[in-house]
Formats: sequence, C-alpha cells, structure tokens
Amino acid sequence: MLGSGAALATLSRLPVVPATARAATPSARFFDEPQTEILTQVVERMVATGEPDTPRVRDSGAIATIDALCGSMAPELTGPLPALLRLVEWGPVLFELRFSRFTRLTPDEQDASLRGWMQSRIGLRRTAFLALRNLAMLGWYAQDESWPDVGYAGPLLPRSTAP
Amino acid sequence: MIASLLELGGDRVEHADVCVIGSGGGGAVAAAELAAAGLDVVLLEQGHHWTAKDFTQREDEMLPRLFEEAGMRATRDGSVMILQGRNVGGSTVHNLCYAFRTPDPILRMWREEHGLTSLTPEALAPSFARVEKHLRVKPIREDEVNTLNRIIRSGAETLGYSGFVTKHNREGCVQSGYCILGCSYDAKQSMLVTYVPRASAAGARIYADARCDRIEAEGGRVHRVLGSAVGPDGTPHGTIEVSARAVVLAAGAVASPDLLQRSGLGGDRVGQDLHLHPSVMAAGFFDEELHAYRGIPQSYYIDQFIDLERNPHRGYVLMPIAGFPVLTATQMPGFGRDHFAVMRDFSRMAGLLVLLHDRSAGQVRPGDSLSRPRIDYTLSPDDRQQLAEGLVHCAEVLFAGGARRVVIPFQPEALVLQRGDDPTEIIRRGVRQGEITIASTHPQSTCRMGATASQGVVNPFGEVFDVRGLFVADMSVFPTSLGAPPQITTAALADRTAHHILARWPELSA
Repeated sequence: MLGSGAALATLSRLPVVPATARAATPSARFFDEPQTEILTQVVERMVATGEPDTPRVRDSGAIATIDALCGSMAPELTGPLPALLRLVEWGPVLFELRFSRFTRLTPDEQDASLRGWMQSRIGLRRTAFLALRNLAMLGWYAQDESWPDVGYAGPLLPRSTAP
Repeated sequence: MIASLLELGGDRVEHADVCVIGSGGGGAVAAAELAAAGLDVVLLEQGHHWTAKDFTQREDEMLPRLFEEAGMRATRDGSVMILQGRNVGGSTVHNLCYAFRTPDPILRMWREEHGLTSLTPEALAPSFARVEKHLRVKPIREDEVNTLNRIIRSGAETLGYSGFVTKHNREGCVQSGYCILGCSYDAKQSMLVTYVPRASAAGARIYADARCDRIEAEGGRVHRVLGSAVGPDGTPHGTIEVSARAVVLAAGAVASPDLLQRSGLGGDRVGQDLHLHPSVMAAGFFDEELHAYRGIPQSYYIDQFIDLERNPHRGYVLMPIAGFPVLTATQMPGFGRDHFAVMRDFSRMAGLLVLLHDRSAGQVRPGDSLSRPRIDYTLSPDDRQQLAEGLVHCAEVLFAGGARRVVIPFQPEALVLQRGDDPTEIIRRGVRQGEITIASTHPQSTCRMGATASQGVVNPFGEVFDVRGLFVADMSVFPTSLGAPPQITTAALADRTAHHILARWPELSA
C-alpha cells in the first residue's frame, strides 16, 4: 500500500535530521507544494504544545529541514512518503468515513485523525504514523526556537563555527 | 597520509603488505600496530574523515555525518535501532568511553565452552596494556561525575545495589557532554585522534570515502581487495584495487559478515550468532533542573544484576543516559500536547537504560545494496523478561534518586509511574518488539571466533578458517555476547591479531 514496509519501519525509528536544511527559506525540493502543505499541518499537530508563545512551525526551518533530509536519503527509504502524505490527507474519507480532507479539519479533528493512525490495528498504519511523527520531531526539535520551551540550553559552540 | 578517495578521483591501484578494511575500534589498532612495525599498510574507510572542527554539537548536522544509514539502521522489522559509526575512527568517535577489560569469567567461558584456550588474561595482558596506554585509559575523577550520574549513584546506593565509577579514555575533557555527537575538543581519545594518526605517521595510506566491495582469494589465500569511492548516498564514483599479502577486515559486526558473504568467503556460519546488547530505557523526572546532558554522560555503572562468575551467559547492567532534544523526542511516545507534556520537562529528565547480555541470536545477510544489509533479530522470552525486570529496577533507582515520576516509553502510550506506584506493572506490560524502543550500539559475534571451523568463522587469532591471510578484527569475532562495554576488548583482540600477523609475517609474505 505504501511501498516498502521495511522502509517505513526504518523511518519510524528515525532519530536524525540532515545537515543542510537549516536555511531560513523553506524552498521545498523533495515534496511538492500540496505535499508540503499536508506535511506542515501534520507537523503542526505532532509538535503542538498548547502554549500560546510557542513559535509557529510555518515560521521555522522545520519543514525545510525535513525536506532536505528526505532529499538526501536513499530513495528506497523515502520513496513511500509522498504517497503516505496523500493517504493522510484522504485518511478521514478512507478510514473515518468523514467527507473532509485532513487539511480542512479543525486542529482537534486533525488530532483525532492522527490518533486513528497511531492506534490503528493495522501494523503498517502504526508504522507509517511513527515515520511521520519522528520526521516531525526531528524537524522541529532541531530548530533553535524550539529549545526554550523544553529548557534545552543549546550547544556550547556558537553557530558561526558550523561549516 | 589520510585522503578522501572521492576527492582524489579516478581509479587507483595499490600494492601493500596489508590492506585493512575499516578504521574503527579494531581496524585502526591493527593498521597502526602493523605500520609501526614497518609493514606497508593501506587502510580503506567507507566513511568520511570528519575532525573536531566539523563536530558542531548539533544533532541535525552530526547524526547524519557520524552514523550508518544516517542513524536509521535498524533490524528488518524496524524493532531494534542499530547505531554504528560511519566515519574515520568508526563508532569510537561517538561512543561514551566506558573502558573495561574483558571480564575474566567471559574469557574463562570462551576458553571452556568455545575451546579458545589461548585467551587467558595473562596472554591478553600485553595487548590490554598497549591499548590502554594509547587510549590513555584512566579512572574518572570524582569531580568529573556529573549530575545525572550522581543521581543514579545515589539511587543505587540507597537501594544497596552494586555499582562503581568506571574508567574512561578522555584527556583534558571539558565536560561539554556532546560525546555522542563527536568531541569538538579532541579530548575523547577515540581512534580518530589516537591510532589513526599513529598509523598515518607510521606510513599507512589511509583512504576515506573508500568502500570495500569485495575481497578476493585464490587457492585458499587472500590476494586482493576491490572497492569504490563513495559519498553518503553510496553511489560509486571511482574504484580502488589493493593487492595485499594479508587483509584485516574490521568493518564491524554488520558490514564484515555482509562483505564476507558477498565475497563467498568464510563458510556457512558467517553472519549467524548476531548479538546486540539490546537496551531499553526509563526516564525519571525531577523537581529541579538537571540539564543531564551536560558533563561526562556515563561514569557510573550498576552491575547488581549481572554476576558473570555465577552465570557468564545471563544478566544485564544499568547505565545512565541523557539525550539531546531530537534524540529524546523520538524516544518518547505519543504526539502533540501529550508528547510535549513529557518534553516540557526535558531539562528535569534523567535516563537510565538496561543493557542486556543477550543470548538471543540473530543474523546478518546481504541486502539489496552494499550499504543496507538485512539484519534479523528476535528477542527470546527470557531476554524479554530480563529487559522488563531491568526496567523495573531502573524505575526503582530513579525513584530512590529522587524522581517524582518515571516514564517507560511504551508505544503508542507511555507507562507513567508516580512515586509509590508499583513498578512491576512494567512486567505485566512486558517488553515486546515494536511496542517499545529498543536500541543497540554493540552488534557483535557474526564472524565468531572458534577453535575449529565447525565452531566459528575465525580461529583464535582472528584468521578466517578457509582463507590464509584473511583476518577479522572487530566485534564480530566475539564468540558470545560480551556482557560489558566492548571498546577495550575490541581493541585488544585487534592488537593481538596484529602481533600474530607480525610473528607470522615471514610465512604470510612468502
């Protein structure tokens, strides 16, 4: 359904992010524009804090970070991701019998839809959820602006030393 | 000389006395010892030559540089993450520097049950001594024990659990805590700053970005290594051919058996007997900010639950662990506000992991590409039970150390224990692959040492039984799970293999 289950299983354990995506301009390369919008809304829900002062995912480099990671990885690992995002978008119709796409749901409805993936009886759906979740976590928590909310003091080396 | 094969470009043909494959904890030692004795050595390392100036302390930049498959290597079912280095210096560049000699009961078991009668503490002592000298192994000072480890020690002592402050291989440590992302200060005495430069200074030609694709033997004797210039995506951009009288394969317990199988060498046992030292973790949350990621990450070691004298096959140790935000976030279950409820207290978190001396045995087989072998591993019921029991003890130690709550990161929903809750709930939930994050940093035993070809892939000096002059010198030669941090054992066995090659050189070079 989603291509390689093993690839998704591997992605679902994803602990890493790429080196090159921190550029401020999120010019998507791996995902096209519609996929980027779905991904952005998924990431927004995955890393939602409920705190009013948390910076917005859209204003951060999180999506660019994820995009660059996927663009730099072996195709057998990332190949299923665009199809997975389309499935998430149409998930409410396919799995919940709702006549609405994911990106048109309210935030609470989006959370419920994602919870359906997370708690699915179908192992591949759960694995797919973990893949997206971990991409979201690595995209977001690699951003300096995410650190104050969790109390991470950040690297001791200034960014200027980065190559 | 250390050069990037990619940057040199084109195709190369080299002739050497010895070709070493891999520059990690075994290969670098073998290359340096052989080169220092005057042999002509070529070393091929598929990873890049990153150095301290490249170690930026940022997860997004360092994890893809320092880890196989950008940190995503896993068993085929995705249930066990396997973290292995892919860079000059190998996993010693990201390891956390526990420095233990091989436990005597393990050596005894290897002698008595595997026929490796020459593996005595006395016989290995010169190798241990050389390795510890070059790696500057020393006890961790009391003032170097960080907040995380003090808490864990306090909890263990309150419960009367056996534990101790270990030795390590750091020199001039500034206690930044970023060991797992590579040491920006060259304080970690990894192969990158010890044996690799020593090998280079002794004349070894070291090629980074140089993947070995095949080892060739003729008439029962090794004679050539074929490789490619590769970047992170594995696409070949040139070739290298090294003719050599001896080859030391030290690509790690995943790549070494993969390479042997692709080369048709080593027999049917190659790739079998995979042990992982699988680990699971518990997270304790405290009232005060700990910033547990600062300071030496691992200095205390709880050995209450492993008694190798009584049973050298079974047990587990508990080791403190702290992560940075990305690593921590991906370990914690759930999403959104529930997930953030855990991450919000990141700075108050202390981790403790169970590292299992496993008897479960998996296998490594060639996959669809050279950089992605097929790894299968299933925990036995007894090993799963031990991991669950270990998590109970982790929770007890964390509470005794002052934690207000302990989170066991079951997926999709964590088990949250408050002070006073019964931690044996963990055993009722059980450890099942796919339902909790399991990690391995110590794959081993896939080219195991044996007294005869029916017992192992290599002989007691690391030489492949059916191929004269082909040696293996990494964690894949361990006959069983080691049951202790493997850095010093790996290096000492590689040192021993190198000195065996030197002693036999008149015959091997004939």
